[in-house]
Amino acid sequence: MSKRPLLSTRNLRKVYGKRDTRFEALKGIDLDIYEGESVAIIGKSGSGKSTLMHLLALLDKPTEGSIKLNGKNTSKLRAGKLNEIRNKEFGFVFQSFFMNSNDSVLNNVILPLKINGVGFRERRRRALEALRIVELDDKAKNKANDLSGGQKQRVCIARAIVNNPKVIFADEPTGNLDSATGERIEKLLFGLNKKKGITLIIVTHDQDLADKCDRQIHIADGKIFGENTREDVDLEDFDGDGDNDGMRDHNTTKHIDVEED
Amino acid sequence: MKILDIIKDANVNLLRNKLRSFLTILAIFIGSFSIISTSAIQAGVNNFIDSQVDSYGGEGYLAIVAKDSFDALEGLQGAMGGNSGPMEYDPDKIQTGMSPITDEQIEKLKKVDGIDGDSIIEQKSLNITYVTSKETDKKYLFAAEALPPGNVKVDTVTGRGLDLKADEYQIVLEEKYVDALGYTNEEIVDKKIQLVVLDEYTHQEKIFDAKVVGVIAPGVVSMGQSYTNNKLADDIYEENTKYYPEEVKKNTYAVAANYDYEKYSVEEIKEKLKDIGLSAMSIEDIIGTIKSFFDVILTVFKIFGLIALLAAAIGIINTLFMSVQERTREIGLDKALGMSSAKVFLSFSIEAISLGFWGSVFGITVSMILGNIVNAAFHSEGGFLEAFPTFNLATYTISDMISVTILIMVIAFLSGTLPARRAAHKNPIDALRYE
Repeated sequence: MSKRPLLSTRNLRKVYGKRDTRFEALKGIDLDIYEGESVAIIGKSGSGKSTLMHLLALLDKPTEGSIKLNGKNTSKLRAGKLNEIRNKEFGFVFQSFFMNSNDSVLNNVILPLKINGVGFRERRRRALEALRIVELDDKAKNKANDLSGGQKQRVCIARAIVNNPKVIFADEPTGNLDSATGERIEKLLFGLNKKKGITLIIVTHDQDLADKCDRQIHIADGKIFGENTREDVDLEDFDGDGDNDGMRDHNTTKHIDVEED
Repeated sequence: MKILDIIKDANVNLLRNKLRSFLTILAIFIGSFSIISTSAIQAGVNNFIDSQVDSYGGEGYLAIVAKDSFDALEGLQGAMGGNSGPMEYDPDKIQTGMSPITDEQIEKLKKVDGIDGDSIIEQKSLNITYVTSKETDKKYLFAAEALPPGNVKVDTVTGRGLDLKADEYQIVLEEKYVDALGYTNEEIVDKKIQLVVLDEYTHQEKIFDAKVVGVIAPGVVSMGQSYTNNKLADDIYEENTKYYPEEVKKNTYAVAANYDYEKYSVEEIKEKLKDIGLSAMSIEDIIGTIKSFFDVILTVFKIFGLIALLAAAIGIINTLFMSVQERTREIGLDKALGMSSAKVFLSFSIEAISLGFWGSVFGITVSMILGNIVNAAFHSEGGFLEAFPTFNLATYTISDMISVTILIMVIAFLSGTLPARRAAHKNPIDALRYE
């Protein structure tokens, strides 16, 4: 890991509200993410993991600290440049899809290219290609609303890769899906990570999903309290009874308690 | 994002909530409809008045009487309970009856800067007993006068204009007489009709054979008059006044003249004429009352239209606020995917402008359809404009349509700025979290 990180944060802090309502969501995060990695940011809800992803994705500005993209400090960039980076270099997959449900599948996938001002033919060609990768090119003309949950998420992945991004940010990408469908989505995302070398940053509270990433960053109470690489994951510690809730959260909570005590 | 994509998306978004968009457009339609209809009627009336002004000698025309006659007229109005109350008798002024214009005054008038000396003609009232033709046994009452000076542009239906200097008797006939005299508009041109003047003393009829050189549409200003060339007017006047003493016969009570309306205002000319004891009335003074009557009514309608537009503007604001609210997550997604705030603002503004555009197009179209129906109905038999075939009540000009559309689009844009700003300022994260 001697090469320069793709995304690098130092002493990253984010504070919401003022005085009585003041809430410190991130309390100094130092994190390096390298190109081609798959990284899971794992923590329970309210831990600050989503805030961290928003900052990394340049959707929000930190209260303090720096985010460097390719070694360049992003706080100095103008709004237009940030928009351009999000449009051309990032892809987004959200838990609740965020699609224009009345629009066609194709138009949903086209959206980033349309915002970018790509011409009609070119954007259509590229969107169909992205849909082929997620094996939904036969549904291009369907209304987005008529798809199943898994299909919707695949459309969102197509939308995330249509601009050939360097990084895909996925916020609970399997959170709304049953396990079989979720697995298919996971396969797709990790396939893109391996085959195309797209850096994958997944925010989740699902340990199973996190375990499939190269690296897991554990977040609680706005701080990083642990980091595993896939090799040294101790499954016994985290892999409780195998369901998606309860135990795992409980385990995590225990860690926080230890940290805070 | 390309501007064409933004425009297309804006209209697609309007179609997403058809009923709401339709109702908003309907509100704009009411404003657009009343403004364009008012403009059309105004244009129609103005066109008609302009054509009447032309038939009366055009823009530079002045009707001139001695100042005493003018004062006498005002005095008479005063005596009859006008605004200023009865006027006192002043032995130094002639306050009743018409005073003649002296030869000296006419000489001075010719030299007034701005008055076209060659255009000055005496206005003689012609007393014609009746008119008839070879095609009919009937005799009709008839009024005619010499065509006033200036642009010899009568609102002719057929035929050519008068040759003022011609040595033969010429007349431009009021359209209502054509049928009565047993002709059609086309047939009567170059035919001769008979103007008959009764000798006051011998009761002998003197016949003037006048060649019809044109047919004129009835008008408000001409009041059913026909126009003669100078030779016919002079000879009829001579016949009318042949028993008068020379002094009276020579008297001139009214003259018409042209002034240089590009260089002088009518007020300046009136001032100059006052100095030589003359009073002048421009064509605007003569028809001013008709025009101001229409202007008042039309202004009221325009204000109604603007009020309707104001209400429509609030409708636009409301519609777009709802739209911004509904599409909060969509806006968040667009912004997360790199759409700039300016483009978000633009897309909502264009949605507002599109509402305005469709509302005004809708209003103009319906107004034009109704306008044409009304024009046709008024000109049909028994319609109240049957007598005025050249008067189209509703006249639509391209410039009116464009300016109304632009006005409404500007109003729509301004109403859209409030919701569009709200959309543009949305934080993508908050917007995406919004349920």
